[in-house]
Amino acid sequence: MKKKVISRFTMILFVIGLMTAIQFNTVNEPDSRDTRDVWEIRQELAREKQLHSELLSEIGTLDETLSKYEKAANDSPEQVLKETVEVLRQDAGLTEITGPGLEVHIEPSQEAIVTGQNIEQISPALLIRFVNEINRFKGIELSIDGKRVINTSPIRDINGRTAINGKPIGTPPFKMKIAAGTLDNAEKLSNHLKASPILDNFYIDNLSVNVMEPQEEITVEGYDGELELEYLEAAEEE
Amino acid sequence: MWLSILGLILGLSLGLLTDIRIPPEYANYLSIAVLAALDTLFGGIRAHLQQVYDDKVFVSGFFFNILLAAGLAFLGVHLGVDLYLAAIFAFGVRLFQNIAVIRRILLSKWTEKKSVRESV
Repeated sequence: MKKKVISRFTMILFVIGLMTAIQFNTVNEPDSRDTRDVWEIRQELAREKQLHSELLSEIGTLDETLSKYEKAANDSPEQVLKETVEVLRQDAGLTEITGPGLEVHIEPSQEAIVTGQNIEQISPALLIRFVNEINRFKGIELSIDGKRVINTSPIRDINGRTAINGKPIGTPPFKMKIAAGTLDNAEKLSNHLKASPILDNFYIDNLSVNVMEPQEEITVEGYDGELELEYLEAAEEE
Repeated sequence: MWLSILGLILGLSLGLLTDIRIPPEYANYLSIAVLAALDTLFGGIRAHLQQVYDDKVFVSGFFFNILLAAGLAFLGVHLGVDLYLAAIFAFGVRLFQNIAVIRRILLSKWTEKKSVRESV
């Protein structure tokens, strides 16, 4: 009799233990699992490698500047400083840039002219998309209707008119100038824009985009306003 | 008694080592089932200590309570009423009562033994 009771309890306890362990396993399952496949991991790796090489080349440039400073420390330190300032101003987009590039003309579409429709201004949303499309290419300088687009340039609607850097751009037709660094890059950008589906979006707004042939010499205007960096501060010395 | 604890350890280790998992949607049901099982277990121990243990009642109660609790939870989910709370409440209260009774019985046994030893 006693044996039977103990065997019953053993059986019940075994079942309870099993259930508790399963519940424990289920509840403690990790929330997010790494479900990337090999290809995604390869892409991640490629991205990191690219970043790595970019950082290395930056280190190289800085080392070069440093050695220049050291070399020129004796004869003319101001000259090197001035050069650095010039490079930085160029990077920030404050100077005019001349180099290989291309022009893009935004014009009213033929259909709109023939049917006599009102030519509306380009909408900020469309212009932002177009600028983003151009910015797929690295190292390019862009001005729209004479307004240089820099990193902090806002493209937005001000009192019903599309404005860049706070200044309104004209109704089409107007020109965009793009300096691409090398003629090769300009060629690539031109081909990319010609084949880009974004041109269809212009067509909906009764606009057409003419991507001109790349030129050896194109001049992109400099940024003419004040740079306001409200929230940037110099890092403290360590 | 040690054999039963061995059974518990065996069940636990089997579950943990084989890494069995159930879909997370069913985790609620299993937790209520575990609670029902614990309730039955302590009820059985109490009944055994009170000399009213019945094998059939114990085993049938074990499975029936588990199924009832899980079924109640299932019904609650489909009716939009948190019926599993009823099961948790009932089993939780009974669990405490049973444990309290077991404690009293063990305490009285212990004091009895002690007084017998002292009288001897």
